[in-house]
Amino acid sequence: MKAAVQYFGAMIATNLRASMALRGAFWTRTIFMFINNFIYLVMWWVFFDEFSEVRGWMLPDMLAIYAVAAGVFGTAMIVAGGVMTLARTIVQGDLDTFLTQPKPVLLAVVASRSEASGWGDVASAVVLFALCGYVTPASIPFVLLALASGCIVFVASAVIFHSLAFWLKDTEALSRHFLHFLLAYAAFPKTVFLGWLKVALFTVIPAGFVTFLPVDVVRGGGWKVLLAALGGVVIYGSLALLVFRAGLRRYESGNRFGVRA
Amino acid sequence: MSWRRDAALAATSARQTMSARGELVGRALFFGVLLLVFSRLWLVMAEEGRLGGVAAANFLWYLALTEWVVLATPMIYLTIEEDVKRGDLAYSLARPVSYLRAKFAEGLGELAVRCVSLGVLGFGLAWLFIGRLPDQPLALLWALPTGALAMVLLMQIQIAIGLCAFWIHEAAPVYWIVQKLNFVFGGLLFPLTFYPDWLRAISEATPFAAAVYGCGKLSFGTTTSAALTTLLWLVVWNVVNAGFVSVVYGRGVRAVEVHGG
Repeated sequence: MKAAVQYFGAMIATNLRASMALRGAFWTRTIFMFINNFIYLVMWWVFFDEFSEVRGWMLPDMLAIYAVAAGVFGTAMIVAGGVMTLARTIVQGDLDTFLTQPKPVLLAVVASRSEASGWGDVASAVVLFALCGYVTPASIPFVLLALASGCIVFVASAVIFHSLAFWLKDTEALSRHFLHFLLAYAAFPKTVFLGWLKVALFTVIPAGFVTFLPVDVVRGGGWKVLLAALGGVVIYGSLALLVFRAGLRRYESGNRFGVRA
Repeated sequence: MSWRRDAALAATSARQTMSARGELVGRALFFGVLLLVFSRLWLVMAEEGRLGGVAAANFLWYLALTEWVVLATPMIYLTIEEDVKRGDLAYSLARPVSYLRAKFAEGLGELAVRCVSLGVLGFGLAWLFIGRLPDQPLALLWALPTGALAMVLLMQIQIAIGLCAFWIHEAAPVYWIVQKLNFVFGGLLFPLTFYPDWLRAISEATPFAAAVYGCGKLSFGTTTSAALTTLLWLVVWNVVNAGFVSVVYGRGVRAVEVHGG
């Protein structure tokens, strides 16, 4: 376990150095992603200027859920960017090079890439947390734990969606869109989701664990909500491992000759 | 003769789009998810009597029209960016086919498939989720010419974005910003009537409002003269953008000729 954590840390550090080596591209992607996130919020500002609230959900809540969504997605892109191309890696037989390494395959694949745009998301999250008014110095540990839990569930969901490629082959576009659905729900006023849709958002499309519970923690939900969010980590983390392992047994080699240093 | 060649390119592209089912199904599902999410929002607002007597159906059909225009527009900037970055464009300069015209024809083929498939699905789902047509259903007939011209306009903007790769290595950050400006100034999620006067004035001076809001506002009803005015604006913006794209392409090609591809 300790070795795996050390390996993961080393992979992240290497990827960070690699993405920062192209300094121009790194800053372009970071700054543009930062601006991009704020432009999108203008639409919700317009909406809440017109209607003020939706079942008690107001603009500061919208800022908080956007902060969580940006923080979760940004962190995932920085530390586990490889998950977004996992389906392609599987279909093209590129897992071969990972299978030859004496390290956990899934960990090696997801940590094999780091997206510079993730830093723009993380920077947006910091500014949005400051603007929403919910975060205090005392609540910062809760907020960080909530973000970590949302991030792990997001990566686990991405692993599950992308692992469909083991069975259905060319599913990259479909897997990518599944993650877009997840984000579409995850950055929406959660008070409008009731009944069966709410159930779906805590099961099939786990937006509930990615942002809804974390944002409740940010809004002062306390330990119980945080524990529920961490429960999602256990469930979706285990499910992702099971699905990936089951898929790996069906994996057909791409007969690739290659070495990863 | 060249029209026949364009038609052949468009037909080939349309066939390729139909064969790439993952992308098509993914976009369709994403469209469905958005409509479902927003149907909840507008139904909640209607239940609480906060829409000022306007039917929730009008608002959902507004989104169905705006998203139809946006999602049906092909991501043509990606192929142009790739051609410029890899230097493939330089090879095409020697061919007796205008690169720009060929890309436009291919884009039209892709657009035609998406326009029909997403239109049928999106309008069907909007009806299903909200249970009825908008107050003035006949106004939707104007969506056919308006939507087609709007999609061509947005496609031309995508071509201009792709051509940015002549000067900046990655066009993706420019795409993110233009896409979000399109969402905001176009009124993708909420009609421009919600906007404060100053933002509405800025929005209406952009091609995005002509394309996205121009089509979406048909859900609130229209008159023949208003619909014809919208169409006229779309023609004007299409001509202006065609000129702009030609100038940008000409300058880019000169850069290739001087520096090499």
